[in-house]
Amino acid sequence: MRLSGTTRGVSPSRPTPEPAPKHRIVPGDFHRAPTGSVEEFRDRKWAAPAHRVLENEGVQAHCAARRSDGVTRKPDRRCPHWRWFWRRPNSTARASSPRGCRGVQAAMEAQTNAKTEEIEEKKDDDKDLSPEDQMLLEGLELAVERLQDALCSVFHLSDPTIASAALKHLVKEVRSATSSMTSVPKPLKFLRPHYETLKHCHSTGDKTSSTHKLLADLLAVLAMTMSKRGSREILLFKKQGSMQDLGSWGHEFVRSLAGEIGAEYSARHLADKVGNAEIDTHDLAALVDEIVPQCHSAMVLFTEIVLFHLRHNAYAEAVDLLIETQRLPKLLDDYPLEPGKALVDQSNFQRVCLYLLRCGTFMADPDDLKELRQCAFCLYERQGEFSAALGVALQMGDSDENTPFSARCQILFDAADNLTRKQMGFLLARHRSNFEFADDYDVDAIIGNNRLHGYYVDLGRDLDVLDPKTPEDIYKSHLGDSAFSRGPSTSAPHVDSARANLASTFVNAFVNAGFGNDLLMTPEGNAWLYKNKEHGMLSAAASLGMIMMWNVEEGLTMIDKFLYSSEDNVKAGACLAIGIVSSSVRHESDPPIALLPEHLESPSATIRRAAIVALGLAYAGAAREDVLETLAPVLSGSEIFVEAAFAALSLGQIYIGTCDSEVVSLVIQKFMETPDANLDAPEAKFLGLGLSLLFFGRGEKGDAMLEALKTISHSLGTYASVMLETCAYAGTGNVLKIQKMLHICAEHHSESPSVTSEVSLNHRANSSMRTPDASHTLPKTRDLAGAHQSVAVIGIALVTAGEEVGAEMALRTFDHLLHYGEPTVRCAVPLALALLRISCPDYGIVDQMSRLTHDADTQVSLCAILGLGLLGAGTNNSRIAGLLRQLAEHAREPSMLFVVRLAQGLLHMGKGLLTISPFHADRTLISKSAMGAILIFLHCCLDMKRTILDKTHYLMPVSSVPSRLSDDAKAVETVGQAGRPKTITGFQTHTTPVLIGVNDRAELASEEHLAKSNILEGIVILVPSEEEK
Amino acid sequence: MGQAQGGQGGGQRPERDPEKEKAEKERRKKAYEARARSRPPLHTGRRRKRNKGTGTSGRLPKVYPTSKCKLRLLKLERIKDYLLMEQEFIQNQEVFKSHEEKDKEEREKMEELRGSPLAVGSLEEMIDDTHAIVSSSVGPEYYVSVLSFVNQDLLEPGCAVLLHNKVMSVVGILSDDTDPMVSVMKVDKAPLESYADIGGLETQIQEIKEAVELPLAHPELYEEVGIKPPKGVILYGVPGTGKTLLAKAVANQTSATFLRVVGSELIQKYLGDGPKLVRELFRVADDHSPTIVFIDEIDAVGSKRYDSQSGGTREIQRTMLELLNQLDGFDERGDVKVIMATNKIESLDPALIRPGRIDRKIEFPLPDIKTKRHIFGIHTGRMSLGDDVDLEAFVMAKDELSGADIKAVCTEAGLLALRERRMKVTQDDFVKAKEKALYQKKGNIPEGLYI
Repeated sequence: MRLSGTTRGVSPSRPTPEPAPKHRIVPGDFHRAPTGSVEEFRDRKWAAPAHRVLENEGVQAHCAARRSDGVTRKPDRRCPHWRWFWRRPNSTARASSPRGCRGVQAAMEAQTNAKTEEIEEKKDDDKDLSPEDQMLLEGLELAVERLQDALCSVFHLSDPTIASAALKHLVKEVRSATSSMTSVPKPLKFLRPHYETLKHCHSTGDKTSSTHKLLADLLAVLAMTMSKRGSREILLFKKQGSMQDLGSWGHEFVRSLAGEIGAEYSARHLADKVGNAEIDTHDLAALVDEIVPQCHSAMVLFTEIVLFHLRHNAYAEAVDLLIETQRLPKLLDDYPLEPGKALVDQSNFQRVCLYLLRCGTFMADPDDLKELRQCAFCLYERQGEFSAALGVALQMGDSDENTPFSARCQILFDAADNLTRKQMGFLLARHRSNFEFADDYDVDAIIGNNRLHGYYVDLGRDLDVLDPKTPEDIYKSHLGDSAFSRGPSTSAPHVDSARANLASTFVNAFVNAGFGNDLLMTPEGNAWLYKNKEHGMLSAAASLGMIMMWNVEEGLTMIDKFLYSSEDNVKAGACLAIGIVSSSVRHESDPPIALLPEHLESPSATIRRAAIVALGLAYAGAAREDVLETLAPVLSGSEIFVEAAFAALSLGQIYIGTCDSEVVSLVIQKFMETPDANLDAPEAKFLGLGLSLLFFGRGEKGDAMLEALKTISHSLGTYASVMLETCAYAGTGNVLKIQKMLHICAEHHSESPSVTSEVSLNHRANSSMRTPDASHTLPKTRDLAGAHQSVAVIGIALVTAGEEVGAEMALRTFDHLLHYGEPTVRCAVPLALALLRISCPDYGIVDQMSRLTHDADTQVSLCAILGLGLLGAGTNNSRIAGLLRQLAEHAREPSMLFVVRLAQGLLHMGKGLLTISPFHADRTLISKSAMGAILIFLHCCLDMKRTILDKTHYLMPVSSVPSRLSDDAKAVETVGQAGRPKTITGFQTHTTPVLIGVNDRAELASEEHLAKSNILEGIVILVPSEEEK
Repeated sequence: MGQAQGGQGGGQRPERDPEKEKAEKERRKKAYEARARSRPPLHTGRRRKRNKGTGTSGRLPKVYPTSKCKLRLLKLERIKDYLLMEQEFIQNQEVFKSHEEKDKEEREKMEELRGSPLAVGSLEEMIDDTHAIVSSSVGPEYYVSVLSFVNQDLLEPGCAVLLHNKVMSVVGILSDDTDPMVSVMKVDKAPLESYADIGGLETQIQEIKEAVELPLAHPELYEEVGIKPPKGVILYGVPGTGKTLLAKAVANQTSATFLRVVGSELIQKYLGDGPKLVRELFRVADDHSPTIVFIDEIDAVGSKRYDSQSGGTREIQRTMLELLNQLDGFDERGDVKVIMATNKIESLDPALIRPGRIDRKIEFPLPDIKTKRHIFGIHTGRMSLGDDVDLEAFVMAKDELSGADIKAVCTEAGLLALRERRMKVTQDDFVKAKEKALYQKKGNIPEGLYI
C-alpha cells in the first residue's frame, strides 16, 4: 500500500483508541445504522487500518487494494423503500393519490409499491453485489468516513482539503449516476445508511466553509430519497446550500424540490393564517425564481436532444409550482438573466395556457382562479392570439371588478386586425354576447348575428337539405311496423286529432327551423292554422317564427298578417313569433321593441303574456335598458300575478348573469309582496327562475339574495333558493354545492294525500296546451314539498355541466338517486341527464335513458322520452330515432305519444343542422342565454303535465352554424401529453361545410390555409398561408 | 309484465291450490316492483351488451394527463370528492331504509319460488321479455316464462339457465360461463422463486421489468416519454437458461393477475376449441386486468405456417391465428401483458413475433463465467461442502453449462455423497457429477470420445 506523504499520512498522534469515529460507542450514538451489528463490526476491522491510507486521489486505489484482500462481505444494506421514495411524486401534496378512489391505477400503484418494498428488502438482503458495485460502495463509504473524520473530529484537526476532496468524490458519484427506469441510482442507494452520519457532520461542521455549502447541497439530494415524508428536508438543506445551478442535480431533484416548496408554502400559509402575520416567503421566492427558468431552460436545452419527457414535464412543473406559491404572474416575466427573452414565448405559450385553463376548472378559490385566467389572458394577448384571449375573457366574464368584460373586449378588438376582429365577432355571436363594437359596422353585424340566417341557409344548400320536410317524414310510421310489436298492439292509444295536429305543428317547426319554408305554415292560405283550435292556433302562428328564425325582415312580413287577425290566439302567436324570429339577432330596426310593447296593453290576457315572453326571447342576454323600462311596470304593477311572473322570467333572460341591481330588487320585491296563495300557482316558480337567472354563473354574488329568500316562508322560497344557488354556480363543478344538493335529494318526505287529485288535474291539463284558465286552485302540496328536490337534481347537472370529470361522476350519482330517491327526485333525473349531455347522444347514456322511458312511473317516463329528444337534439341520431319510433308505437297513453312526437321533432331539429348545446368553443364556454333557455324548458318539464305543451316555445335553438372546415374527428384530451400530440383521432377528412358533433373536434387537413381561430367551430375565417407570410 | 306465469305456466301445475298461487303471484308482483324501482327494465332489443351493461355507470372516468402534475391531482381529488359524496349519500339512505333485512326476506322468497332441485338447460331463444324457449340436455324444447327476478341483461341465447323442476320456467342463470380450463390457468399461489434466485441475467431482468411490470405499475412513465409500453416479450434461448424461472419470478413479484399456459394446452381435441380457449383466456385476462399472461413453450402452437392437408395441423394454425389476433388485433387489450417462452425462436411464425405483438425479444444466453459462479453459489449455498471443493475449476471450465446443468451437477454431487453416506460433498463428487451430467447432455457420447 502506498502511503501518501501529503498532509496527513499515518498519523501516530491520532488517538488510537477510537480507530474511526463511527465506532465510538457513545451514548446517543445516533449515526450508527441499527442493523449493522456484528457484521458491520467485522467490516470495520478492515476499515480501521485502511482509513489511514487516506489520500486525495487514493480513494479508488485503496478500494482496489481492499478488494484484492479477497474479503467477500455481505453488506447488510437495506433500503427497502427506495422504490417508493425514488418514484415518489414531487411532494406530499402531489403524492396523495386518493386511496379512497377505487381507480385501478391508484390501487395498483399502492399494491405494487407495497409489494416491491417487501421484495426489494428480501432481495437486497441476500443478493451479492457485483464487483463494480462493491467498488463504488466502498469508495462512497470511505469518502463518508473521511468527511466525517475531517469535519467532526473532536480535536478539530479537520482539514479542509481532505474534506472537500471526499465531498467532491461523493458529489461526483451522485451526479454522474444515471438512473435507470427500474432502479434507484446506486450511489444514492449506498449512501442511504450514511445519511444520518452526513447530517450529523453537517450539523456539527464549520458553518462558514465552502464545504459546508456543498455538503448541504449533497444532503438535499440525498434527502430526496431518504428523508421522512413531510419533513421537507430537501428544502431545509437546500436553503443552507447554494441556491444556484439546481439543474445539475438532475430533473428529478428539481421536481422534488419544487414539490417541497409548494408544501412548505402552504404550510406557512396555514400557520400564518392563525397569526395574520405577513407571510415570509422571500427565501422561498428566491428558490422559485431559480427553479422556474430552470424548468424552461431544461426545456430549451433538451429539445435538441429530444428528451421529450423533460420537455413536456417542464412547463407543467413550472406552472404547478407557481400555482402552489401563488406567483403565477411570474409567467409573464422575462428570463432573469436575459431581458427581452420571455419565459413563455411562441414555442410554449399554447401549452402553458391550455394547462392553466384546464387547471382553472378545478380551482376552488375564486381569487386564484381569477389570477390564473388573467395570466392566461395576458399570455394569449401578448402572443397575438386574440380569439383565444377572447375565449378566456368570456370565461372570466365580469368577475373581475377592475376590468369588466366589455373593456377587455374593446382592448382585444382594438389590437386585432380586421379579419381577426371578424373571427372574434363570430365567437361573440355564438356566445350571444351583448358586446357592441361601434368602430366597424361589419364586425358589429357579425356579433349581432345579422347574417346568421344567410350562413345557415348556405349550409343547408351545401348539404342539400333545403327541401321542407313534413312531420310524417320524421315519424316514419311505416318503419315502425310489426317488426318490434310482438305484444298486443291493439291497445295503441286513440289520439285526438287536436293533439296530433299540435304535435305536427311543433315537429314541423323544429324540423324546418330557420329554413324559411315548410309545407304546413308558409304556403298560402293558412289552411293548417285553421285546422287547429284555440291554443293550437297560438302554437301554429308562433311556429312560423321558428321556421323563419333569424330572418328578421322576411319573417316579419310573413308574420305581419297574423298580427291583425281577429283571433286573440293567433295574435298572441304572432307576438311569440316575432320574439322567436329575432331571438339572438341584433337588428338595426329592432322590431320586437317597436312592435311588442303595444301588445302589453292588449285586453287579452293571452296576448299580453305572449308579448312578455316574446320580449324575453328576443332580447335574451342583451341586458337592454329600454326593455327593462317596458317590462318593469308589468312586473311591479301588474294586477295579475301570472303576468308578473312571466315578466320576471323575461327579465331574468334578458339580464342573465348580470346581477343587475335594479332588476334584482324589482324581482325580489315582487317575490316578497306576493301573497302565499299566488305563490302556489305553477307560474310562481318563474319568479324564482327569473331571479336565479340574474345570478347565473356569478358564484358568491348570489349569497345575499339567498339570505333574502330565506325570509320567505312559503315553500317556494326554498325552491327558489335552491334554484338560485345552482344557477349561481352553474358550470363551475363546485363540489360543495353538489354535496348540498345531494343532501337535499336525500331528504324523504311522507307522501301527501293529494296525489289522486293531481291525476285528475293532469288529465285535464294534458288535454290542451298551456291552459291559463285552467284552475290551479287545487292544492299542490305534493308538488311543492318535493319540488325543490327536483330542482336540486337538475342543479347537480347544472353545476357539473361543462366539467368533464364531474359530469361523468355525476352520472354515477344519478344512478344512486334513481335507486334511492323519492318520486320527485326520480322524475328529474332524466332531465338532469339530458342537461349533462345535451345534443350529445352517447351510447351509454342513450341506453340508460331508454330504460327510463319504460319506468313504471309515468312522470319519469315522460321526462325520459323528452330527455331522449334533448340528448339527440339536432343530431338526427338514428339510434334515438329508432327508439322513439318504438315508443310511438307502444305509447301507453295519449300524452306520452305527444311527448314522443316532441322528442322526435327535437331530434330532427333543423334537419340535423342545429344544436341546442350551450357549450361551444371546444366545450370551454357556456352560452348563458342558451343555458338559461334550456333551464326554463327543463323547469317546465318538471311540471310537465301542466305546462309543457306550449312552453316549448321557450326553447331557443342555438345553432351550429355553417363551418368552413376540413376535418372532423373525435376529440382527444391533449393537455399534458408528451411531444406534439395529435389533437384528434380517428378522423375523417371532409370538405367544408361539415357538421361536427358536440364531442368532436376539427383540424385543417391541408397546410394551404391558416385559420384565424384556434378552435375550428362555427364560422372560421381562413387565410391562405402564403398571404400570412 | 306482471303476467309472469302465463297460460302455459299455470296449466302445467294443477296440483297447486289456488290460494297459494295467488300469494305467489302477489309476491312476484312485489318482487317485480322492487326491481322496477331499483333498475328499470331494459326493453330494447334482445342483443344485450355483455356484462359491462351501460358502460357509463360503475366506471370511474379516465384521468388525463397521466403524468404526475397538479392538474391530475386536482382531477383525482375531484373524483375522490364525488365518491365521498356518493358514500355519504348511500349511507344516509341505507340508514333511512335498511336494505339488509328486506333483501334477506326477498331472497328467501326467491328461493322458495325457485324450488329445488333445479334443472339446467340452455336458452334457445328469447321470445319477449318474459318468455323464452329453452331446451334441456335431454328431451324437447319448451316455451316457458322467465321469472321477473332473473337478470334480463345476462340472458342471451345459448347461455346456461336454471329451470324450475316442474314448470321449467327460467329461474336463474348459470353466470360463470368462463371455460374452466381458463380458471385453472390462473396462478393463485405465487411461486417461491424470486428474482434473488436467478443468477445473473441482470439485463434480462431489467428488460422484462421494463416491458411487463413497469407498464402495469407506472403507466405514466411511458406517457411522459410519449411511447406506448410494449405489449409483450418473448424469452428465448437454449434449454435450461432460466426462461421459466424468470417468469416464475415475475409471477412471484407482481401483484397483477398472473395467468400461465403451456402452448400445448391450447391444442384441443375438437375443432374450434383451441381458438375459443385462446379467446377465453384473453377475455379472462381482460376482466382481471392488470394481467400478465405467460405462455410457455409457445412453439407448440406458434410454429411457422405451411400448407398442410392435416386437419390437426390446420387447427393448430388456426389457434395461432387467434393468438395473433388477440395479441394485436382489432380490439384494444388494456392492461394485459404477454410473456412467451420458447427455445426455438427461429421456428416461430414471423407474424407472431413481429413488433407490435411481441415488442421485446429477450435472449437468454448460456451463463458466462461470472454468472456461472453466481449460479454455483446459489445452488451450493445450502449444501455442506467439503474443504477441498474448488468450484472455480468448474466455473472456469470451458464446458457449455447452462443454469439447469449447474443445478443438475450440484444435485448429482449431493446424491453421490449421499450414496456414500457422507455428510459433506467433496470435490470428487462434483467431478463425477459433472461428467455424468454432461454425459447425459451430450446424448450418450462420453466426453473425449473424439479425441
